[in-house]
Amino acid sequence: MSRLIDAGLEQLAKMLARMGEVAYKTVSLSIMNYLEGKNVHNQVANLSDALISMAEEVEDKGFELISRFQPVASDLRILKSYMEISYDFSRYGRYALDVSQIHEMLDGIRGCEGWIRESIEEMGEKVLSMVGRSVESLKSHDAELAKDLSETEEQVDNLYSRFLDRLVEEAPSKNRCTISSVLVVRYLERIADHATYIGESIVYVVTGEKVTLR
Amino acid sequence: MSDVKIDVKGLNVWFWDNHVLKDIKVGLKPNAVTAVMGPSGCGKTTFIRAINRLNELIRGSRTIGEVYIDGENIYDKEINTYELRRRVGMVFQKPNPFPKSIFDNVAFGPRIHGVENDEELHKIVEGSLREAALWDEVYDRLEDSALDLSGGQQQRVCIARALAVNPEIVLMDEPCSALDPIATAKIEALMRKLKEKYTVIIVTHNMQQAARASDFTVFLYLGKLVEYGSTKSVFENPKSALTEKYITGEFG
Repeated sequence: MSRLIDAGLEQLAKMLARMGEVAYKTVSLSIMNYLEGKNVHNQVANLSDALISMAEEVEDKGFELISRFQPVASDLRILKSYMEISYDFSRYGRYALDVSQIHEMLDGIRGCEGWIRESIEEMGEKVLSMVGRSVESLKSHDAELAKDLSETEEQVDNLYSRFLDRLVEEAPSKNRCTISSVLVVRYLERIADHATYIGESIVYVVTGEKVTLR
Repeated sequence: MSDVKIDVKGLNVWFWDNHVLKDIKVGLKPNAVTAVMGPSGCGKTTFIRAINRLNELIRGSRTIGEVYIDGENIYDKEINTYELRRRVGMVFQKPNPFPKSIFDNVAFGPRIHGVENDEELHKIVEGSLREAALWDEVYDRLEDSALDLSGGQQQRVCIARALAVNPEIVLMDEPCSALDPIATAKIEALMRKLKEKYTVIIVTHNMQQAARASDFTVFLYLGKLVEYGSTKSVFENPKSALTEKYITGEFG
């Protein structure tokens, strides 16, 4: 006999699996078109919005299951992880949107030197494979596949460091300012976003109302 | 202070041919609430009744093994069970106040133990009722019958009665199963307070109560101890697949 919570957990798993597919599609579309020099900003924006709505649905369902069934042990671990993963999927969408926005603003990397294009291609390929494997490990609940992500992540980290090192090494001092400031304003903007997320959470704690402060 | 108050070693209990507890080994911590949970018939009640030797009052019972309280084996021949049951108080599933006044219920134990002085009795009764979080509700009607109180208040009279003889350990056998949610919440809050001074062991059918109110959890199944650990670890990440199945409702 299945338990009352099982139907909810299955529904949540389906929602998340669907979300994973959309997230992969969004990141893939954004990266591939950035590399190929195509502007797909509107398409990516729609997909990113869809991911945000889906993350909200997963969160709502997770809340409902917690309040109605007081889950423990593996049920609790599933719920906690699924809610975090849905947020991560929505972040995939958001970063894909950022990439497409950069393409729209600066016309991609067509005019860049060969080594830059190659680096972005290599990194993009690895990142996309990680996104795919993260989605797959969720669907199959495959812990080994999940652990294997660590190796590629290290490779991506190294590519990132090497890329920045070379960029700085080859850049005249004026361009170094550009590189430094672009990186930093990006993080500043992210911190500001997170401050509003905290604000949204506090409004929800106090009033029960879900607001968007961004 | 030792980190084990009650050390159970190789405890086996039979009722006639029924082997109810099988080789239980566990060290229960002082000044903590430990919940004993498991499906019906797993030996929960027998387990806590082994801690004040109540099982031997039932015909056909046989106990092998040792239970040490502060290093002293309570199954030693020299142990005075009368004194043991003063040190290890018990509260039962159904509130069972005597058909006497609130005052006389709480004063019952101290009187048996020879306290005759009125002033001292009053002091003990007030202190015990305060500890049982009942004083403010009954201080002006101590001579009323305890049977006129609500179920939750009656259960707290029983707790006060157990505390009045100055125990070290308080055993509670499903103390909230006959109570409504408000009275249950009061008893659970009381457990939290009592552990500051006493070692509290509760038997509960209600897993959420174990999760809410206890610091440590014992899981018994078919008379065997399957798991013992911090309540946080048992409810978040149980070591045994059997515990996992029980607490997530796959059987029970």
